[in-house]
Amino acid sequence: METVLSTNKLTKNFGKIRAVNQLDLEVKRGQVFGMLGPNGSGKTTTLGMLMGVVNPSSGSFSWFGEPATHHTRKKIGAVLEHPIFYPYLSGQKNLELNAMIKGADPAHISKVLETVELADRKDDKYKTYSLGMKQRLAIASALVSDPIILILDEPTNGLDPMGIAEIREIIKRIAADGKTIILASHLLDEVQKVCTHFAVLKRGTLMHIGPVDEVGKGEEIVEVQAYHDDLGVLLQEFVGSATIRKENGIFEVMMKDGFHSKDLNRFLFDKGIVASYLHTRKKSLEKQFLEILADHKS
Amino acid sequence: MLHLLKIDLKKMTSYRTFWVICGIYFFTLIVGAASGMEFLKALSRLIEGFGQQINITRIPLYHFPDVWQNLAWSGGLLKMGLAIMVVVSITNEYSYRTIRQNIIDGMSREEFLLSKVYTNLLLSSISMASLFLIASVTGLIYSPELDFPYGFTGISFYPAYFLEVFAFLSFALMLGIFVNRSGLTIILLLFSYLIELIIKENIDNYLPSIIPFFPLESIMSLVPMPFARYVFMEIQDSVNWGTVAIASVWTFLFNYFAYLKLKKSDI
Repeated sequence: METVLSTNKLTKNFGKIRAVNQLDLEVKRGQVFGMLGPNGSGKTTTLGMLMGVVNPSSGSFSWFGEPATHHTRKKIGAVLEHPIFYPYLSGQKNLELNAMIKGADPAHISKVLETVELADRKDDKYKTYSLGMKQRLAIASALVSDPIILILDEPTNGLDPMGIAEIREIIKRIAADGKTIILASHLLDEVQKVCTHFAVLKRGTLMHIGPVDEVGKGEEIVEVQAYHDDLGVLLQEFVGSATIRKENGIFEVMMKDGFHSKDLNRFLFDKGIVASYLHTRKKSLEKQFLEILADHKS
Repeated sequence: MLHLLKIDLKKMTSYRTFWVICGIYFFTLIVGAASGMEFLKALSRLIEGFGQQINITRIPLYHFPDVWQNLAWSGGLLKMGLAIMVVVSITNEYSYRTIRQNIIDGMSREEFLLSKVYTNLLLSSISMASLFLIASVTGLIYSPELDFPYGFTGISFYPAYFLEVFAFLSFALMLGIFVNRSGLTIILLLFSYLIELIIKENIDNYLPSIIPFFPLESIMSLVPMPFARYVFMEIQDSVNWGTVAIASVWTFLFNYFAYLKLKKSDI
């Protein structure tokens, strides 16, 4: 697959602080690439360098296999940190301005306003918009040039659950169109739901990079509940259990490799117990994320 | 070039403050320039004996060729209004952080600066054209006789006035890019004359020969004050090309410093 972005030892120092440390990333066409990391881990600084607003201290990067210029940025739709618009201009006029800078066809504007469901408020001044509408306008402005790549930085920050769901739907729809998306977030759930690949940053250093699919591989966790007083003791007898935790009256059994929930179910059945609740869980990105960060604590 | 100018104008033409400041500025420039006789009358009412000592109707304020320099100098007094507009325009980009989004959207830093410089050029041109128009009209009305080409003497003060306005707007733009905050920039702009005056007065005793090379001094000297001629003093009644050269170099430097600052800073 074609590489759209690659960075080579990209580094940024702010005085003594190293915000981004020798970062090597590669994003291929069609990926939905999640950038994870705690607050202050260098996600926005990295994206700032890629979008030409932060000058790298050392290292380099290339878009579409070529050194970046402002012309390459016109092919990328990006919103960093929070929506930025002229507050005294209407949504429509703000997008017209974006289109002018990007050299995009202004006819696109009505289409992207439809996409983000802002068409009926397009002539109101930006400063009258709610936070959710501002975020949606930001996505519209990123889409206005029909870009090959979309960069979104915390697109659901500060939104209510409905706003979050709306933005997530929009991202999924855009991804289904075959666009490459780079999504920076500290909401792991969000990344797991929409991303195909992810990278984890910690204090500016790359900790992990890989596909999201692989997160679920490996151990299974089975949640069990049954009307039996000694369920905890019984579960320990099961050869497939690695560790057992009890939470809210439910036992969480971490399975050994090669064992699955059906094995546990059969084991209980053989003992004459019928589980009232049985739920198989793959390891969540959250868990993996915390593990990755913990592994590198030393 | 036209594209970048259009982008900057699109930002400004829906901005009420822009119209208010520009409205006040051009109103004062045009109406003020056309009201010279009223000023003289008011002056004669205020200052006892002014009317007797000098017959105001005999002051050839609007006669060709005096009118050229008279109005070019007077118009130059108002450039601060336009400069404040330029400061508001650039510092808004920082406070709204739209400069960041402009660059993310695909403007280069050079293009961003150029879009502002082109607007400065446009505002300076409109100022020059307005003033030239008023000078021509009032000159035609008030001049007892039209004697050309003698009547055109001093018309070169108009390009000089243009440079004066553009140089000062470049200075304001540069200050805005370095300071980023509107209030502070405007105070610095207002105080810059005073600061330069203090330095000039102190230097006057040691090195008076370098004073013409000061930035604001050179800008102010492009169109020297003409009215002393009405109390029968010798005045400089043509453009000094040395001053033009100095002011041009400063104008270039203001914009170049602004460029360097933009180039190396994280936005």
